[in-house]
Amino acid sequence: MIELYAITDNPCPALPDLAPLTIVPVNGLAAVCMPAGEEDFSADAFWRHEEVVEALMADRDVLPVRYGTRLDDESAVARAVKERRDELAAALDHVRGAVELSVRAMPTETRRAGPPAAEVSSGAEYLRLRTGADASRDHAARALHEPLSGLARASVEGRPRPQELFRAAYLVERDAVESFAAAVARLQKANTGLSILCTGPWPPYSFAER
Amino acid sequence: MTTTIAERDVALVDLVDRLLGGGVVIAGDITLAVADVDLVYVQLRALISSVATAQEKQLLPRMGSAL
Repeated sequence: MIELYAITDNPCPALPDLAPLTIVPVNGLAAVCMPAGEEDFSADAFWRHEEVVEALMADRDVLPVRYGTRLDDESAVARAVKERRDELAAALDHVRGAVELSVRAMPTETRRAGPPAAEVSSGAEYLRLRTGADASRDHAARALHEPLSGLARASVEGRPRPQELFRAAYLVERDAVESFAAAVARLQKANTGLSILCTGPWPPYSFAER
Repeated sequence: MTTTIAERDVALVDLVDRLLGGGVVIAGDITLAVADVDLVYVQLRALISSVATAQEKQLLPRMGSAL
């Protein structure tokens, strides 16, 4: 079995030598692969995978492949890529020259989702208060997303996890990463009630499928 | 006080979201069935504070604290 890491242009720069990588060329594209090891869903395995994709991203455009994609051999990879060749080439074009940045925001103090039960006199009152809380969360999320999405080629909002107010991924030109980070810093200054976490640059995982 | 461990944990959450939920899906075996993704998250939650050997992910400055 071999495992797929990413789709890139072909021809491409020499492969990084941190792992026994090979490429399967398909009509202008290259599938970057490696012999598959044992299935591994540990943090170490995730970081090792990431290290390979980031090494590729350092000197070429990459369309990252879903973690854990395995095929029998190189000819199976060639068939699979060939089948969707034009679609994959378009997806690679979509992320060309850009990287992904992650933004999450959490309230700095964890308040209870609703008011104390004693203050709520009726179900209708409770619903009214809850609706108000939802509206103010939406408002806070808009105030982050609008300026940031204006700096990005594309963006995708995720469903916030518990304790999060906002979660989104942005596809940002490589040379605009610093100005994006500066915009996040300004938003952090203006929103003292939030903790804004920005990580990256990541390979454009969230923009690989359309 | 260094925040290296905390930042690595923060980045691991973002990494796992991307590896398991992102990337282009190409025909073949995806070893991790969708139903198992939640299980991985549960395992990682236990693991997340002890990832001593994990590669450190480059982070943008921790906004607020770094500026």
